[in-house]
Amino acid sequence: MARVTSARYSYERMFAFSSSRPPVPEKLAASLRPTSLAKARTLPLDEPWRALVPGGGLRRGSSVVVQAPAGLGGLSVGLSLLSEASTRGHWSAVVGVDDPGVVAMAELGVDLRRVLFVPRPRGAWAEATADLLDGVDLVVVRPPGRASGSVARRLSDRVRERGTVLIALSEPSAPWPIAPDLLFSVTQAEWTVSSRLDARYLTVHVSGRGEAARGERHVVVLPNRRGRAEAS
Amino acid sequence: MERLLALWIESLSVERPDGSTLRVTQALLDALTLLCPFTDAVRLGLFTFPLRAPSRFFGGDDVVLAMVRRSVEEVAGVEVLLGVGEGLFTAELAARHEVVLAAGESTRFRRAQPLEVLGRRDLTTTGHRLGLHTVGAFADLDAARVGERFDRDALIRQRVARGELSELEGQRDAHLGRRLAQLRGEDDDFDEQLGFFGQRGAGDLRADAAALRVRQRLGAEAVVVASLRGGRTPDERGALVPWGAPAHPRLEVAPWPGQLAAPSPATSLAQPLEVQLRDALGAPVTLNTRGLLSAPPATLAFSTTLRREVTWFAGPWPLVERWWALHRRRAHVQVVLRSGEAFLLSCEERRWWLVGIYD
Repeated sequence: MARVTSARYSYERMFAFSSSRPPVPEKLAASLRPTSLAKARTLPLDEPWRALVPGGGLRRGSSVVVQAPAGLGGLSVGLSLLSEASTRGHWSAVVGVDDPGVVAMAELGVDLRRVLFVPRPRGAWAEATADLLDGVDLVVVRPPGRASGSVARRLSDRVRERGTVLIALSEPSAPWPIAPDLLFSVTQAEWTVSSRLDARYLTVHVSGRGEAARGERHVVVLPNRRGRAEAS
Repeated sequence: MERLLALWIESLSVERPDGSTLRVTQALLDALTLLCPFTDAVRLGLFTFPLRAPSRFFGGDDVVLAMVRRSVEEVAGVEVLLGVGEGLFTAELAARHEVVLAAGESTRFRRAQPLEVLGRRDLTTTGHRLGLHTVGAFADLDAARVGERFDRDALIRQRVARGELSELEGQRDAHLGRRLAQLRGEDDDFDEQLGFFGQRGAGDLRADAAALRVRQRLGAEAVVVASLRGGRTPDERGALVPWGAPAHPRLEVAPWPGQLAAPSPATSLAQPLEVQLRDALGAPVTLNTRGLLSAPPATLAFSTTLRREVTWFAGPWPLVERWWALHRRRAHVQVVLRSGEAFLLSCEERRWWLVGIYD
């Protein structure tokens, strides 16, 4: 019993946000314009993804889920979503990916100087992710097993509050428990080969909320012969 | 395994509060580096260097030993025990016994040592109860039986006992190198990433603060950063070091002939997983001396129950590295399974390892 309460206590602290800022009166709020342009409210995406996503970038404060069967390119898609933002100077973090392929990330165009890795967060993957959401602009997280609904909801609240982007990697057998703002679902992966592995054609179903709700099927080359993502 | 000359200096192994230990260690390291540029301060009180080249250059093992003894005498004026053996573990034991093991004698020497040298009390106690008193007797046990009774650490120690691994975990002090660099004044924040005009931006500071919080929560090694370095295979080229540790940003310009071409696997296993690769008849696929496979691989088995059909493969790409010292021979093969997954496999000493997953 004591353990349960202490765990809950740490969760509460983990997701606590300061309410010291006074609320803006409703009438005034209606007349206000945002000080930042739409461009500053999205994080840039690499070339093939730009065309597939409404707005051409990852909206700050949104949760993204990349769902793929094990071994069929889910990790590559997740890391590829980081590449453009990291080269433009945004920090990112990768949580719960045990053995990240550093060379593959460099080939994808990720600037490794601005990526923090937490390869083995053990039981504390959610806490580590929440900590990092405070400090970096994008967090890629691969939960060990199935994430619980309450943890996922708290993380997406945190993302919205901080204006960062969460990219959760999941498998169809253990889907992300809540509906994301944007879902990349890899359904098929096909390698083209010569004397070596050449390129992989991923069939990606992009869906989500708002403009992305209609859902479209695309084929993306990831990785291509140079290890990058490319429109087919 | 390389023949190493080990120096064991008892009086330097315990650090004195006045900082003299580190200073003497640094002075000794400088002096020994003049004899052999590959001198390594393994931990306080223990130095090693590969003996083969110095021995040829100066004219024999005995000449090198005498020179080392003399320079330790001159620089530090302390008593030193010298020994020669293959691999760090055996070399340290040889130094403590003050013996020079000729090439090929290391195995016999290591196997004759008492079980205590493996440094685990429960292993020693259990071993003695079973009538196993030497490292050799423990090495001969079936690894599966050891795994049933002990943990992974014991299996690693058994591999050291067998001579498959050259050193025990914890034999090396990972922080000594950095502390010596600090002493020399060379350790001025190599990992500092500078902004546009050389200063660090607000984003960098925010990321630092977040990394620090995760570290407080999960321990000092929990947050790592990555960099690229020279090498031929993905696992050699990608380096992951704890966040905050000094890293030397080095632009990779050297050519690495035989480097595996892009695309690289998105998962690069730090500890490769042993697998079985079999041909259509169920026989293990082997690599012959000319670097060719005995037969096209047909199945990939992760264990006796988990096996998958291989639909395509490429390679092998043989790599023979450092033939003058380590003589490491490997070959890499890419396979695609019927289910669509692609793997990078490596063959070394007739065993197959899963080293990368294109996931």
